[in-house]
Amino acid sequence: MEPALSGNNVAVFAISYDSVEILARFAETHGIAFPLLSDQGSHVMRRLGLLNPRVQEDHAAYGIGPNPRHVDLPYPGVFLVDEQGVVAVKRFHESYRERDAGAGLLASTLGLFSPAPGPEVAVPDDAVHVRAWLDSPTYCMFQRLHLNVEIVVGDGFHVYAEPISDGYTPLSVDVAPIQGMERGAIRWPAPRSFTIDGLQEEFWVHEGTIRGSLPLTFTAAPGAGDHLLHATVAYQACSRVACLPPSALHLKFPVKEVALVDRELPARTEKTEAGG
Amino acid sequence: MPLPPRDFSTIGPNEGDRFPEVRLPNQTGAIVDLHAARAGRKALVVFHRSAEW
Repeated sequence: MEPALSGNNVAVFAISYDSVEILARFAETHGIAFPLLSDQGSHVMRRLGLLNPRVQEDHAAYGIGPNPRHVDLPYPGVFLVDEQGVVAVKRFHESYRERDAGAGLLASTLGLFSPAPGPEVAVPDDAVHVRAWLDSPTYCMFQRLHLNVEIVVGDGFHVYAEPISDGYTPLSVDVAPIQGMERGAIRWPAPRSFTIDGLQEEFWVHEGTIRGSLPLTFTAAPGAGDHLLHATVAYQACSRVACLPPSALHLKFPVKEVALVDRELPARTEKTEAGG
Repeated sequence: MPLPPRDFSTIGPNEGDRFPEVRLPNQTGAIVDLHAARAGRKALVVFHRSAEW
């Protein structure tokens, strides 16, 4: 886990309200060398504005029983801080289950910033290279995955972003719906304003390399099975003098169901057709 | 039923903000100043709910 990040020269810190003793035990059990910071009393988390004031209500909504230890808890999540100490990426999500918000969060979020763990689809064409990957080849109930999409726009070209008038194809990523999977909106960096001499219209465009991620949350009960995600990446690349025809790339990503920790998936029953 | 999603842009530091100063003990009891310990590198800061449960 950590070696992948050390290679990219990223320092890792974890923060929770656990005591130093609890963190010492955890670090020894799991062979963790990076700092596990003890915010006993949740003072830092409170100062940063990260405490969830409605933990008990949230837990009731997700069917988790009340627990006296569930006070002064933060929203679980991760910040990627750049070399200047500025927040570059912020990833927070609703904690559907304690498992996703406790020690298991470390493993799944460290995976977000590592190179693609599973199959990666790369489609080069003249103006635009597209690379897309899921941040996990497996899912379990209540897990949130991201479909990560990297667009590399060649020199001299740009792709349109929304909003755009009819007749142009803006950059979009769509995942075909699957029952029991909630699709979020993809998040891209801010586009740049672009004008062409002689045209009144102002365009919003992306240039260079951009990355977006689309959250996918699996909410069906265990036993939903493996899925094949169908994604469509659409865009239109133009230079200052001409536009290429719009492109629509159809990409497929298999994802296997795995059981929740300490659980097994329900046994699949054989279905026989009536009449043989 | 799950609750409606929260707007995390109102919760905690946002992209573009300087990450606040944090000075806390680590698992050996030594006080760690996060920005100093980062030493000019990128950092991943993970807020998790417990190492115990």
